[in-house]
Amino acid sequence: MSKTNVKNNIRTLRFQRNEMTQQQLADQVGVTRQTIVAIEKEKYSPSLEAAFKIAAALGEPLDAVFHYEL
Amino acid sequence: MSFQEKSAWGSLIAIGLIAYWFFPAAFDVAGSSNDPADLLVLSIGCIIGLVIVEAVYQSIIAAKGSAESDERDALINLRAERNSGWALAIGLFWLVGHIVAMSAFDATEPMGAMLIAVWILFALTVSEFAKLASQIWYYRVDAA
Repeated sequence: MSKTNVKNNIRTLRFQRNEMTQQQLADQVGVTRQTIVAIEKEKYSPSLEAAFKIAAALGEPLDAVFHYEL
Repeated sequence: MSFQEKSAWGSLIAIGLIAYWFFPAAFDVAGSSNDPADLLVLSIGCIIGLVIVEAVYQSIIAAKGSAESDERDALINLRAERNSGWALAIGLFWLVGHIVAMSAFDATEPMGAMLIAVWILFALTVSEFAKLASQIWYYRVDAA
């Protein structure tokens, strides 16, 4: 799938959270590690629910994790 | 590689191998025999073989890792199903067009019912193949 317009800071925020692994984040969100990889690479836009879960797992508000670029 | 991707690879290879063996034999039977039982025996044998291969393979990969799927798997599955639907529609329209054209221009030897059945099975197999190949493509593109 091509790159999405939904950009994110997940990788940076993971490292600021004690170097949280992709697998740990995936387990907290309830998705597979491959989905976290695809979201981080901006090849897949998560659902609103998954986006909120990711933000909660990283302890940040949604707009600190995701933003939209035209 | 996720469980879903491994599963798609296994199914693609299993279907490919069985189709590679089945269709030459099935077209041969449909062309030479008038007994539908011959084709039925061949088809049932292939279906049983496919079920056994799939069951063994899926159990092995499920035992090695989580078989859970998520929203991205569902989206990829839907896109793959769409591609599969196109492949099936094209195959069936081609078959209908071929039958109509044969009856219109070359009525000397119309397509037999058994041959039509084998072509329908072929279209179904190609559509399943298109689905699995699409799934793998979408998983690989995301992983690259």
